[in-house]
Amino acid sequence: MFLKKLLFKNKTQDIAPESGEGSVLIKGDELKLLVDKVFGRSLFVRLVDSGSCNACETELAALSNPYYDLERFGIKFVASPKHADILMVTGCLTRNMLNPLLKTYENIPSPKFVITVGDCAETGGPFKDSYSVCGPVSKYLNAAVHVKGCPPEPKAVISAFLKLMDILKSGKQEKLPD
Amino acid sequence: MNKIMFNKHYTEIESDYFANSAEILKASGKYLLGIVAADERSINSKFSIRYFFGGTDGGGIEEYCVKTDESFRSISKICPSAKMYEREIYDLFGLLPEGHPDLRPLMLYPENWDSSVHPLRKDYNGVIHEMKKYGGYKFKEVLGEGIFNVLVGPVHAGIIEPGHFRFSLAGEPVLQLEIRHFWKHRGIEKLCEGKDFNEALGIISKISGDNSVNISISYLEAAESILNIEITERAKYIRVILAELERIWNYVRDVAWIFMDIGFALPAQNLFALQEELMRLNKNLSGHRFLFNSLTLGGVNFDMDSRKLKEIEDMVNKVENIIKDSEEFILSSSSVLDRLEFTGKINKKTAEELSLCGISARASELKRDTRAEFPYLIYGRLNLKPVILDGGDVFARTALRIKEIYLSKKIISDLSSNMPEGNIAVSCESKPEAFGYAVGNSETSRGNAFFYIMADDKGKIFRLKYIDPSFRIWPSIQYGVLGNIIADFPLINKSLNLSYAGNDM
Ligand code: SF4
Repeated sequence: MFLKKLLFKNKTQDIAPESGEGSVLIKGDELKLLVDKVFGRSLFVRLVDSGSCNACETELAALSNPYYDLERFGIKFVASPKHADILMVTGCLTRNMLNPLLKTYENIPSPKFVITVGDCAETGGPFKDSYSVCGPVSKYLNAAVHVKGCPPEPKAVISAFLKLMDILKSGKQEKLPD
Repeated sequence: MNKIMFNKHYTEIESDYFANSAEILKASGKYLLGIVAADERSINSKFSIRYFFGGTDGGGIEEYCVKTDESFRSISKICPSAKMYEREIYDLFGLLPEGHPDLRPLMLYPENWDSSVHPLRKDYNGVIHEMKKYGGYKFKEVLGEGIFNVLVGPVHAGIIEPGHFRFSLAGEPVLQLEIRHFWKHRGIEKLCEGKDFNEALGIISKISGDNSVNISISYLEAAESILNIEITERAKYIRVILAELERIWNYVRDVAWIFMDIGFALPAQNLFALQEELMRLNKNLSGHRFLFNSLTLGGVNFDMDSRKLKEIEDMVNKVENIIKDSEEFILSSSSVLDRLEFTGKINKKTAEELSLCGISARASELKRDTRAEFPYLIYGRLNLKPVILDGGDVFARTALRIKEIYLSKKIISDLSSNMPEGNIAVSCESKPEAFGYAVGNSETSRGNAFFYIMADDKGKIFRLKYIDPSFRIWPSIQYGVLGNIIADFPLINKSLNLSYAGNDM
């Protein structure tokens, strides 16, 4: 009964938030076309949290809820770096996480791209002056796209994927990482 | 100096003598809330080790203070929950807990830290050593024929924070789990030293983002009592409403993950959608989906007019209805119950020995809810009855969250129909007394959040210690998984849903 009710009542996806940049759905359609074209219909992302407060992760997890449902655009968070095209990094980059972060990056097959998410990943945020923080991420990895915000809202992350696709399509990212 | 601002029980005691009395304290039903070390050599040429105990009749906190030079007696063998605190003190202060069974480094990994560095000593010169290997970390091996290890993390499959888990198995059942945490150690306590109380709030609210409001409340309880600030009734009401809203969205998400991990995607997504709506409500109320920057020293940053209150009321009613459906579904589905019942059981005795708090304690028969034990804001007047269950398993922890959503909903409804008039913030000009200190408590969605703050003689923070509920609860997973099959670990982990960020600090 309960399951039946759920199957037939839900209509979340039409409630996509309207914003200056258009609704998630419109953005998503555009994105889907690009993912199809640029990445052969699937874009796989591996996330590394290098020292966040966990709000950034909560928002990335929210991308899979029925309002955003990122997977319908062909974008998927994957379990292994070996499957990934993109390394997504959140957090201020602590000393203890430097090694795991770099190892994950190494294990992603080329061509690969980095997206940094959240103010901490860009500058170290409120933690930048700490003895145990060796970031920001840019000291070690070049990000193709950065998503601003503390934490960035899910729709901002979707925009970031669009931006990356645009960069790739227009060939602006001249020097592809090895 | 050193005015005791929060309670009547303060005892200064010799380390040896205290190690003996810890047993008596424990036998009388008291439990360790936390151990706080501080470098007070500039004040009285000693280090201080403060032990805070809860569980006294009448709800107060007892404090025992040991002054020492370079070492103190470990109480880990009497109170196993002291183990992690003492390791932490050894790491960050270099004070030796004599007789401690396990002195491996905790936060400062020998893989990149020289063991002579103790950043929380006041004479730490800030020198950051080169990133290179200074030593190794030895895990506890389980040996025997047919025994094998499964190593997981620090980087996990999925959108999860980093932590390293080592399972030793014989066949499917887990023989031993060893956890290595503190990958995300951000050094927050040191960062707060020398900051003024408002500045530090900005950092504190980002200790563990999904519990930002409740952790900030605990901090403000301590900070405002040092600064002698009495906030208005209206501000207290708004703080409580925000705290309960945060609890609700956390619980909704937690229950959703339980469904997800047992393969029930549809009911899970139903609740994830609800979580999204709750976060959008947060945004409507405060301009931020996680309610960051909603609280301020002396009050709150925004008011709640009748329109906002109505919005909240509608939302929590909706939550109640949806959660009721989920509850019915859980109780009527044998394949759900089959996965949840008897899985990841934490015995009452284990919960007691580890001084657990929050959901994990209440699901194992311990009556620990900060809102009732050490009431703050207006919780004392609400006459809350903590919800207690006795299963200790994943089912009990899930059921508890559901019941507590109803409780939070009731609190919100009661308060929003009785909002007192008044300002939402008072000015805070006052200067703290030199080296005065206070503690603060609050109940987050995971359990008790504890702050100890001491001011210096310039009105800034001299020492700040935060104990996250996750720090207390993480070790209990190592017991909860024993004998369970490894495939159930994600479920057990999610049923506790602990914060790595808050634990690692
Ligand atoms: S950017 Fe903000 S939300 Fe993200 S980890 Fe840093 S403090 Fe947390």
